[in-house]
Amino acid sequence: MSEASFEMVLNELREAAPPAPERLRGLVRSLPAATPRFSLRVRPAISAAIVTMLVVGVGVSIYAGLRGDPAGHRNTANYFSASESAQSGGTKQRNPAPSRGLGFEQQLAPGLTAKSRLQKQDVAMRLRVDDLSGATQSAVRTTRRLGGFVAGADYATRSEDGNSRLALRVPVANLQKAIASFTQLGTILSQHISVADLQGGLERLDARIAKARHAGHAQTVARLERRRDALIREGTYAHVSLQLTTAKPAAKNVVPGRFDRFLDTSGDILGKEAIAVLYALVVAGPFVLIAALLFLAERTRRRRSDHRLLEETG
Amino acid sequence: MAEEHLDDVYRYLLYMTGNPHLAEDLAAETFERALRRWRRFDPRRGAARTWLCQLARGAALDHFRADRRRRKREGVYASDVPELDEPVFGEGLSPALDRAVCSLSAAEREVVVLRVVLELDGETAARVLGIRPTAVSTRLSRALQKLEERMVSDVRG
Repeated sequence: MSEASFEMVLNELREAAPPAPERLRGLVRSLPAATPRFSLRVRPAISAAIVTMLVVGVGVSIYAGLRGDPAGHRNTANYFSASESAQSGGTKQRNPAPSRGLGFEQQLAPGLTAKSRLQKQDVAMRLRVDDLSGATQSAVRTTRRLGGFVAGADYATRSEDGNSRLALRVPVANLQKAIASFTQLGTILSQHISVADLQGGLERLDARIAKARHAGHAQTVARLERRRDALIREGTYAHVSLQLTTAKPAAKNVVPGRFDRFLDTSGDILGKEAIAVLYALVVAGPFVLIAALLFLAERTRRRRSDHRLLEETG
Repeated sequence: MAEEHLDDVYRYLLYMTGNPHLAEDLAAETFERALRRWRRFDPRRGAARTWLCQLARGAALDHFRADRRRRKREGVYASDVPELDEPVFGEGLSPALDRAVCSLSAAEREVVVLRVVLELDGETAARVLGIRPTAVSTRLSRALQKLEERMVSDVRG
């Protein structure tokens, strides 16, 4: 068949194609008119959700930046406040203000220490002083005056600065007085106080001693009593590690401005949000990929199945 | 919109099924589906005619699947296509051409009706069929070649 005649055949197909029967036309006419309704389109909805999330994420970080992070920046502020006091150096704290966190009597609150219980108390303090020798001697004198003793000392001076490390044992009863006295020596750079309860161990030892005594085990009683004495000694004297230095701060700490703090906080929050999104992507990504592959595979299978069905249908 | 595309939908279904009565039923079902799914129609993704043809195809495939299941269940293998004296695919069609079209498979007739009778472009036809435009060209070429062969053999026979 020539191309022209085949083209005529195709035209014949086109021209002879029948119109829809009147019955069908009537049926379609009788169908109610479709009213456009609000519909949620998937792609615009996803785009809108992403944009909303971005806006909310950035908005939250900006809001938090303007408001100031209550947790992070309060610490920073305190740090700089302490640094500022460190820079002011030279001026000894004759009357340390409790509000600056340097009132150790307030810091060793009754919540931490209980006079009715045997407790092991450790204190570590670092101070900057002007007169290293005088401050060291003053600390030793104070310790002895309060009934304590020097367990170890390390004193070193150089041309620019000097350091003195004292390991002191101070009776627990006078510990707060000792700390209050040490704070007068110079500017506090750092402090650490820890309290561990020994009362439980003491009571257990007492019970074991009574039991051994009842059983008539003299050697065991003696050994346990030695341990009891050691424990009581441990609870009687607080360990104070006092480090005195004349070193000046290396560099002047710049107090960040409001804008810097805003940028810092916003950046922190944005970073955390990015990490959360990345985490969600890493966790959900493989599942989404598998679901997409399954969807594509099922669609391909269905299309092939449909085509086979139509091929088989005459 | 329904009436505007009614003829196209009917013709498409007529070629797919080779049965005017069935095509009429399926066309009615197609428009009922269209009414139910109207809110899913997105004009940006294709013309209304394309969407209606896709719905018509779905209706026809559902019918063919149900028919295949029924045949398997009942063990019936005879064709349901009625033996009509009149040409199936149009009143003015020559009997030889009508027979040649009838001898094609539904898949072949489908691509012929889309590209030749409804004169859809390759991309639109591809969208209706859910395949690539190149695959549409291949299928059309094979279907037309087969149609030509059938007509030639019919004339010779």
